[in-house]
Amino acid sequence: MTPSPSPLPLLSRIRFRDAGTLLGLILISVVFASLTPVFLTAPNLVNILQQSSINACIALGMTLVIISGGIDLSVGPVAALSGVLGAAMLVAGVPIPLAVAGALVVGLFCGFLSGALIAWGGLQPFIVTLGGLSLFRALALIFTGGTPIFGLPDGFRAVTNGSLLGVPNPVIIVAVLALLAWVILNKTPLGEYFMAVGGNPEAARIAGVPVTMTKLAAYMISGLMAAVASMILIGRLGAAEPTLGSLWELDAIAAAAIGGASLMGGRGSIIGTLIGCIILGTLRNGLTLMNVQAFYQLLATGIIIIVAMLIDKATSGKQG
Amino acid sequence: MTPRLALHAMTKTYSGNTVLHGVDLTVLPGEVHGLLGENGAGKSTLLNILCGVIASDGGSIEIDGKLVSISSPREAAQAGVAMIHQELQQVPELTVAQNIFLGAAKRRAGGLFVDRAAQEAEARRLLQPLDPAIDVTAPVRDLRVAQRQIVEIAKALRANARIIAMDEPTSSLTPKEFERLVQVIGGLAASGVSIIYVSHKMDEVFRLCQTATILRDGKLISQVPIPATPVRGVIELMVGRELATATHQSFATDKVLLRVKGLTRGTAVLDAGFDLHAGEVLGIAGLVGSGRTELMRLIAGVDRADAGVVEVAGKPVPGHSPRARIKAGLGLVPEERKRDGIIRQRPVSSNIGLPSMREFSRLGIIRSARLKARSEELMREVNLRPLDVTRPIGSFSGGNQQKVIIGRWLASDTRIFLFDEPTRGIDVGAKAEIYDLIEGLAREGRAVIVVSSELPEVMRVSDRVLVMREGRISADLGPGQITESAIARAAIPA
Repeated sequence: MTPSPSPLPLLSRIRFRDAGTLLGLILISVVFASLTPVFLTAPNLVNILQQSSINACIALGMTLVIISGGIDLSVGPVAALSGVLGAAMLVAGVPIPLAVAGALVVGLFCGFLSGALIAWGGLQPFIVTLGGLSLFRALALIFTGGTPIFGLPDGFRAVTNGSLLGVPNPVIIVAVLALLAWVILNKTPLGEYFMAVGGNPEAARIAGVPVTMTKLAAYMISGLMAAVASMILIGRLGAAEPTLGSLWELDAIAAAAIGGASLMGGRGSIIGTLIGCIILGTLRNGLTLMNVQAFYQLLATGIIIIVAMLIDKATSGKQG
Repeated sequence: MTPRLALHAMTKTYSGNTVLHGVDLTVLPGEVHGLLGENGAGKSTLLNILCGVIASDGGSIEIDGKLVSISSPREAAQAGVAMIHQELQQVPELTVAQNIFLGAAKRRAGGLFVDRAAQEAEARRLLQPLDPAIDVTAPVRDLRVAQRQIVEIAKALRANARIIAMDEPTSSLTPKEFERLVQVIGGLAASGVSIIYVSHKMDEVFRLCQTATILRDGKLISQVPIPATPVRGVIELMVGRELATATHQSFATDKVLLRVKGLTRGTAVLDAGFDLHAGEVLGIAGLVGSGRTELMRLIAGVDRADAGVVEVAGKPVPGHSPRARIKAGLGLVPEERKRDGIIRQRPVSSNIGLPSMREFSRLGIIRSARLKARSEELMREVNLRPLDVTRPIGSFSGGNQQKVIIGRWLASDTRIFLFDEPTRGIDVGAKAEIYDLIEGLAREGRAVIVVSSELPEVMRVSDRVLVMREGRISADLGPGQITESAIARAAIPA
């Protein structure tokens, strides 16, 4: 019995895809390094990671949602709502760990709401989270009356502005979360369920996968990640604006897609998403260093996303 | 007579893997020509080349004695070639007439608007000899599969097709609908249209075809006259070896493993009840639409019953979800493998472990090495080819995918296997392997239900046969009572 020539097994195929994303990052970095001397210095590279960390945090949750066959457009406003509620608690003198926990619970709860409507209500993720996008933003604006909350305690700000061995704390926090997300996706039953539900929800249900709980978990994780991202942001800014997190969902979706997540569900990679975030961060950083106007930065971002998708299509098509 | 179609020395290679080795195919005008072979024999590749979906690496196509070049579906249509795919390529929301004129709309007002009235009139004219009962203004979604197939044929005629290739056209037809299709094909052939008929069902091929071309491993094996060649001979040419004569052995005990009482859902399943014993293989026969699949789905918890009880080993199963039923020891091997069975892009091992991920985990982490080892062990038992559990399941043939789904339930210690059309879309060689697996399950003391539209299959594997008719169980045939006529009498509504 001679086996027919096999395509690459899935595991190494995903690694192959990640290697492609990494190659893209290296290419972009080489271009910037040759154009501007400041780019390839340690402080600037740390800076890129720091600037990418918030998007990475959001994109981790987004990747899990996308893999499970959904989408979460409400992450920005969820971050805003948990950010202003957390800030209000901090300013009111609630102990820092308690206030942060409160903000995270708000994020979890927002994710639970979207997830419940999608998983139990059977509504479409795009529409539900589009509703959430308006709803949570409105709640954040109503709660604050539209004005930022100032005066966050120094103890809180010290956490997000501090660093360990030269690595900014936000980068460390997001790296730990990324490791957790990677373990969940690749090493736990829940991760298998995410991929099965995103790949074929009906077959997954018949195979005994708890489909409802799986979807719920994805949106709750996404909400939680949005809340974490808002804590990092308000800590760095020292204030919580109800308008924070505007258009975060788009950057997060872009990073996941560049990293190889399929919006049809069933496919995606945590490592790929992280590299995708760094690609977007590097692009902005490099263009800023070269004094390129913001308009052109936007243009470059758009081009990168589309080129990444074209390469993805061309290479995955050949492997059937 | 000049052949209608002559494919000569067609060759196709995919990255070093030759799937067609210089295959010839000659079809006469007005001939119904069977194209036979196991899955992977090259039938689809050959038809796809003929229809311009893929390009050949070598060979020529002659139609009515003239050399033609077909490099796109459009050129195929212009050359008079049409294909009726197994999964019909229609837009369900559009009307019958709109589907018939898809991509070739009749226009008016200088091409600005679609001339619906003219399209509908023409569609009516085309459908008149085929099935006048079809309403050309109805959305295709509302039609039964058999009628949708007729619409596809009308579409082919609209494009003036002289060669119509049909890929397994009867896989979801009732016997009555099949009779209608036989008439339609007869009419087409009489009017000079040539039909290329792909099917795994020998009785159909022998009923319809005058000639058959047999492929194996991408090579032309033989072109044989059909009624003149015995069925067994044709199958042996397809498989490339002699078939062992099947014998049925029973391992049934009298220990009741599954008891179904009063199961009802709408009018699809009415008051169904029966016992299933350890070691028993219970066949369920009946016409399409008699409620067999629906009954399986109720037992497996995929659909919710309006009334009724499912007991496993004397205890009612709590809960209605597939998950609850799986915990109780039931496993469904569904009919629509692609839709309900496999997670296409995931490796074989993930597909196997899906219902029992928790059992393969420790402290919440999957023990991947153990899952892989167990999967390999199971797949070696069922003879998965190639034996590589890290490959995505979507890259395997239908028969091998079926073995993985069976392995999934073996891995989770399922005691009651529910097979819905276990060999649909599976080639002759793999069929025998699936039958052996079913027998093996019974030998180990598990209980098996096999729903099948193919009487020879039901009669080969079953110790006992239930027949369904209009949602009810109309007969319970024990050993010695299982005959084709007894099943048919119980299946056909009076």
